[in-house]
Amino acid sequence: MRYPRRIGRGSSPGRRVQLAAAAIVLVATTMAACSDGEDGAAQVSAPKAPAAIPELTKDPLTLSFIWFEWPPAQALEKFANEEYKKIRPNATIKVNTVPNANWHDAMFTQFAARKTDFDIAILDSQHIGEAVTNGNILDLTDFVKNNIDTSAYSPYLLAAYGQYPQAETGKRDESASLYGLPLLGDTWTMIYRKDLIGDKAPQTWDEMIAAATKCQADNPGVSGLAFHQANGSDAAAVTYNTVNGVYGGNLWDAKTRKIDGVLNDPAGQEAMDVLVNKMKPLTAKGSGNWFIDEVNAAVAQGKACIAFNWIAASGGLLDPKQSTLGKSREQILGKLGFATLPKQKTDLVPLGGMGMHVSAYSSAANQAEALNFMKWFEQADIQKKWAAAGGVPSRTDAIQSPEFLNAGPFNKVYADSVPRMRDMWNVPEYARLVDIENTNVNAALNGAKSPTDALNDIAKEQQSVLDSSGKKGGGGL
Amino acid sequence: MSAPVPLTTDRPGQVASTTPPARGRSRWLSDRRLAVAFIAPALLLLLAMSVFPLLWALYLSFTDYSATRGGAANWVWFGNYTAILTSAQVHLRALTTLIYVVGAVGLQTVLGFTIAYLISRRTHGRGLLTTLFLVPMMLSPVVVGLFWRFMLDAQFGVVNSMLGSLGLGQVEWLTKQRTALLSLIVVDTWQWTPFIMLIALAGLTAVPKYLYEAASIDRASEWFRFRTITLPLVWPLLLIAVLFRAIEAFRLFDLVYILTSGGPGVSTETLSFHVYKVAFLGFNTGTASAYGILMVLIVIVLTQLYLRYLNKLKED
Repeated sequence: MRYPRRIGRGSSPGRRVQLAAAAIVLVATTMAACSDGEDGAAQVSAPKAPAAIPELTKDPLTLSFIWFEWPPAQALEKFANEEYKKIRPNATIKVNTVPNANWHDAMFTQFAARKTDFDIAILDSQHIGEAVTNGNILDLTDFVKNNIDTSAYSPYLLAAYGQYPQAETGKRDESASLYGLPLLGDTWTMIYRKDLIGDKAPQTWDEMIAAATKCQADNPGVSGLAFHQANGSDAAAVTYNTVNGVYGGNLWDAKTRKIDGVLNDPAGQEAMDVLVNKMKPLTAKGSGNWFIDEVNAAVAQGKACIAFNWIAASGGLLDPKQSTLGKSREQILGKLGFATLPKQKTDLVPLGGMGMHVSAYSSAANQAEALNFMKWFEQADIQKKWAAAGGVPSRTDAIQSPEFLNAGPFNKVYADSVPRMRDMWNVPEYARLVDIENTNVNAALNGAKSPTDALNDIAKEQQSVLDSSGKKGGGGL
Repeated sequence: MSAPVPLTTDRPGQVASTTPPARGRSRWLSDRRLAVAFIAPALLLLLAMSVFPLLWALYLSFTDYSATRGGAANWVWFGNYTAILTSAQVHLRALTTLIYVVGAVGLQTVLGFTIAYLISRRTHGRGLLTTLFLVPMMLSPVVVGLFWRFMLDAQFGVVNSMLGSLGLGQVEWLTKQRTALLSLIVVDTWQWTPFIMLIALAGLTAVPKYLYEAASIDRASEWFRFRTITLPLVWPLLLIAVLFRAIEAFRLFDLVYILTSGGPGVSTETLSFHVYKVAFLGFNTGTASAYGILMVLIVIVLTQLYLRYLNKLKED
């Protein structure tokens, strides 16, 4: 049977016109979408927040934060809803959380879309450069001048959580702009087993390694040390940076933007040698992917003599339900001691914690509420209440207050560590720099690279990231 | 009582109706236009969700555009492609991906076919066995990754605990260069062997019984029957399963992300994981687009070669 020939099939002029029209529409849509991205990106610097808080809405409003999932996030939501509602009953605080490894992506993919479902981004101090140069967060300089008592803070804490370009370690540049205000201060604490190594904490890095070695030898099944080694987030990188600082090394020369030759100088090499050849052998087998939770678990189960962890994540160690070290907080504290990090060639400790930053894409009403919240949060009495609720404040009066110092045995460690803090780079290339360092330190800790090769690779690759800003094509490899 | 229906009508085969005939279609609504109207929603969805993003990615792959930095998308011609193809970092990830694909798909094929062959020989409990074997395939890869991460933990994982009870030492499954990639292959094999098994089982069930009966009459050995009847008839179907699995394995991301985060160092970073880092850590959108396009091209070219071989096999 023959089928009749279909009309309009093949290369008839009508079909060609239709195809051409479809192609034109597709190309036009593509170009329109591309040009839309360019228009949105024309804004290359952070927009300014008003110097005074605009009139606040009386309608119900939800003020959203974005953070990563850990105990301080829940503490903040509970605290803010209890306290802030007293002055703003129509406002509800919502702290949205994502896994730590997705924290940067979750914020910056929304920034890339020029639309955020959060009003306040809780940025790590090192994220500031990327957010500022992309115009993602508000410039708070004028707002801070008019509403915040900057003399109440350690200048470096105020700079670390808000200033860009980055301040010199320990200082604040009064003429630089501020893009955020402190939310949660933090640093590493040394957690040690008083029942195994004695009441007195090791004072130097050498003493600490010697104590851990002896403790491990004397107590089979208990490892000498526990610290962050994972290659996700900034885990292994912070560990190396801490040892680097203690042994007198530098991460870079900020003025000349030079890493190669600075990071891998003799001090840097010594730090890497200490970390890989002296500290790593004292850790538990298979601990090469440990981060905050795993280190806490090792301490709580009595499997580590000495451990290092962020103070803000250490609260659970005193919970008898999560610990095998005692049936009460007092019993646990009889075995666990908390101390500032040992010194060696310097007394530097890592700066942790985060600031609050207002999304440039939030609605005007929510931006106004965000500014009001920040002004409220930075008051002396609120900072003390935040300290009592489990937060780590940044105002000097709150840090020295009994509310804070008595809230946890590790809080005095934070108070003593403030003048000793050093941060990483907060340049726009931070995410790539930290990934390079993380993967290479992790490789060295797990035997996939020699310590020298790992450090030289970090220096070379990080330098190429900083140098490649003008390169045409292939960026990011 | 209604009027009786007439037994005969002008048109044989049709029963006359008292209801008036339906209104005719308007003249502009031809069959062709009606067809276009029906497929237009699906077509528009396809254009918006697949074709447009692909074309946009293709455009971006020739630029230095960054989604977060914004600014003009400067044309860099083949700069991104050249950089990717000559990058030692990419070569390393390509080798890791190749080892992973060959190892995982090879193991799954051998195990999947073996299980299917053994099940096909059973007469009782075949359905139950097949269902049980299919369970891992129904789980989310993220869930699979999470519980295998616990099971493979060097300190408290059940795998090391079992090895310990057998008097064997602890193995650092996820933190050593050699064992981390092997662990990924084992976990992927655990989850996806049932897929190969299912397709192989379908092929084995379809082999005509009379061929085996004829072979039995000729006193053919078990091995001879397997080699000359079973394998040649199931082989084309098995190759299709291998093709699907190879494409899936080539773009592996989730298990790497959950189990090893690409570590130790970058030793288990696959191409997909590397693209993710290029796209979302540095937000080098242009480079990431070129990377993605190259991966699609590789899959298309390899699939074409594979399908040609498959067609040739069928013709032979």
